[in-house]
Amino acid sequence: MAGKRPALPLVLSASDLLDGDVVFHTGAGWDRSLSAALVATDEAGAQRLEAALAEVESGGPVAEPFLFTVTLDPSGAAVPNHYRERIRVCGPTVRHDFGPQAREELSHVSL
Amino acid sequence: MPLLDREGLQADPFDRADPSAEGVIVPFDGLEEALESGSNRPVGVDLPNHVHPSRLASHLDRLALVAIDFPKFSDGRGFSLARMLREQGYRGRLRATGRILPDQFAFALHSGFDEVEISDEQAARLPVGQWQLAPHQFSDNYVDTRDGRVSVFKRRRAAREAA
Amino acid sequence: MYRYDEFDERLVRERIAQFREMVRRRIDGSLTEEEFTLLRQMNGLYLQLHAYMLRVAIPYGTLSGRQMRQLALIADRYDRGYGHFTTRQNIQYNWPRLRDVPDMLELLADVEMQCIQTSGNCIRNVTADHFAGVAADEIEDPRPTAELIRQWSTLHPEFSFLPRKFKIAVTGSAVDRAAVAVHDIGLRIVADAKGRIGYRVTVGGGLGRTPMIGKPVREFLPREELLPYLEAILRVYNLEGRRDNKYKARVKILVHELGTEAFVARVEEEYARIDRGAVEVDAAEVARIAAYFAPPAFEALPARSEAFEKAARDPDFARFARTNLFPHKAPGYTALTVSLKPIGAPPGDATSDQMRVLADLAERFSADELRVTHVQNIVLPHVRLDDVPEVWAALVEAGLATANSGLVTDIISCPGMDYCKLATARSIPIAQEISRRFADPERERAIGPLGIKISGCINACGHHHVGAIGILGLDKAGVENYQITLGGEPGDLASLGERLGPGIDADEVPAAIERIVDVYLALRTDEAETFIDTVRRVGLDPFKPALQPQEPVRAAA
Ligand code: SF4
Repeated sequence: MAGKRPALPLVLSASDLLDGDVVFHTGAGWDRSLSAALVATDEAGAQRLEAALAEVESGGPVAEPFLFTVTLDPSGAAVPNHYRERIRVCGPTVRHDFGPQAREELSHVSL
Repeated sequence: MPLLDREGLQADPFDRADPSAEGVIVPFDGLEEALESGSNRPVGVDLPNHVHPSRLASHLDRLALVAIDFPKFSDGRGFSLARMLREQGYRGRLRATGRILPDQFAFALHSGFDEVEISDEQAARLPVGQWQLAPHQFSDNYVDTRDGRVSVFKRRRAAREAA
Repeated sequence: MYRYDEFDERLVRERIAQFREMVRRRIDGSLTEEEFTLLRQMNGLYLQLHAYMLRVAIPYGTLSGRQMRQLALIADRYDRGYGHFTTRQNIQYNWPRLRDVPDMLELLADVEMQCIQTSGNCIRNVTADHFAGVAADEIEDPRPTAELIRQWSTLHPEFSFLPRKFKIAVTGSAVDRAAVAVHDIGLRIVADAKGRIGYRVTVGGGLGRTPMIGKPVREFLPREELLPYLEAILRVYNLEGRRDNKYKARVKILVHELGTEAFVARVEEEYARIDRGAVEVDAAEVARIAAYFAPPAFEALPARSEAFEKAARDPDFARFARTNLFPHKAPGYTALTVSLKPIGAPPGDATSDQMRVLADLAERFSADELRVTHVQNIVLPHVRLDDVPEVWAALVEAGLATANSGLVTDIISCPGMDYCKLATARSIPIAQEISRRFADPERERAIGPLGIKISGCINACGHHHVGAIGILGLDKAGVENYQITLGGEPGDLASLGERLGPGIDADEVPAAIERIVDVYLALRTDEAETFIDTVRRVGLDPFKPALQPQEPVRAAA
């Protein structure tokens, strides 16, 4: 991973190699739902995610892994800090019928 | 390090260090000296891909090998250099070294290379079969190639003339 | 249009077999992700924000009905029932799965289409005037030249791993509709004093981070020298183009850093020694390719059509006829632009049903031809004026009859952050909102020709630099922010837009655009002075206050 690690709390995301779907690291594997993601809130968690990232950096079942910063809302759910990741988590803001938002009835991206 | 040509793995008669090898490969800035040394071992040279091939022009007859580096597989300067050396009349061995991939092997052969020298890591990851398959993946080229393929444009003409 | 022969067909099929193998080798670990990425890109496959994206080449923008129907089938079977037409005369599918891509490629090959070199650091899909073979001012149809270049550049052993992507555009008309000046190489077909055909060659145009207008390197390149001369240019670029910084790797930077004169000298030096025989194409082969582009057998028709004039009593039809028809060289015919910019919709998208309607119309009314334009619309190039009312009725039915070609709602927009991984901001929602603001057709007509172009990042796929109004989306400390430029133009008087002032927030953009247009309406000498002409005459200053938030002042339209 080039550059420095983004600020905590962190989530590790990537794209599924064969389907292209957005996936998140759960601690044990990869899942299409952000709610299943392992959220690293401390150094140990961050290192765990970095190790998972390093493992798939040059190959494996996912492509283009990267870390991003989230905020935990009052219910404890992770919400990406940056609008880019918020769009990525939900799907296109111009087509609510596609992407994870269509699958999971997520509330549409609020930007 | 493993050496491959279109037939597969080959023994490498050249070496950069071993004095008992049949031929020697020297760095570009050591070339004059090696050619003047009076030894009758065949001399090859490592050509960095930022050096214009005209700088080898006066040595072409005395060179037994030119090895052109691919520092990254995405850096395609070597393909131009190979073709230019052949256009300048170089007839000796032309070798690609570095990060080249089987997916580029046909391009290398078409550009005038004879062989590729890869690292042990690459050889382990990219089995010989992939290199052997590569030159046969495409039957045709739209341009003449240095390994003897006649362009589709000319083959159409030949077909027209035969008809 | 061009038809594959056995060589073309075999190469495309072999490419698919190679791609299948490539996917297998990525899965088994032979290829690293980095290696696979570059190789899949050379097959038109990107990994975008939400999914893979497959970019299909539509060489020089020409399609048959059968091909369009196949694009619809692929959209239904492997994507989400729609496709996005781009500024480079390609179509993009936004939701393919890697495991399906080889099968999609087979379906494309069944109709002589492919994705080769629609991405990657190689010679990309060659673009051409979308009114090729139509325009009366044409010296020669540019498509045979573009097809020749397509073949020459396909899997070129020497030029497949360039410092950066390489785009070539060709025009055959006195009026440049292919924006050749903003391509890595721009070719203009010209005739010399003896009537011989050749090319005026420019190098080093481009948009992106450092927009530049191409520099002339040859005023007249004889036709038979085209491919060897292109090889000399590409060779100089391959060897000397910068590889240390991806933002400085395009040929425009090399031309700029060396200076045009020195660059030309190197090209000529290389041209003097290059093996020209390797790319020799005899006149019979040129003629063989050109024959595929022979114009259809036009009927001898009167220049005026009664049926057309009768239909024009309907104001909606009349408006469509005024904006969306382009004069055809054959009397009684017209080239009809189908706008993919309905009010409030994402620019350039077409559903599979719409694609099938277009395929039908092409087959019934337009000599089985369609064109994709670099403004993301579709053209039916050879329609009899007599048939226009029927075509129009079918378009109305399909939601494809928006009468806005060249007007303010005919907005070019790249996918932006709704799809694109590189984006710094969204572009489609901005386009949609501006389009809604100018939905009143009478107001739009009163405003006249005005090109708004939007890019979601500095890569400028939405060509914002050459928009009369350009909008560039940026990320300003975690908030979408938009820079407005005025005065850009892609064609003969190619010019780059200038920044109007500091960037503004997304929700301020539509109102600011409206105010800019109002300033123009207030300042123009008369209806004949277009937006761009007014900007050129009065400069940017009068427009600057429009960036300040305020109540929009609606001009009396
Ligand atoms: S301009 Fe930027 S955001 Fe738009 S398509 Fe190109 S790379 Fe993506």
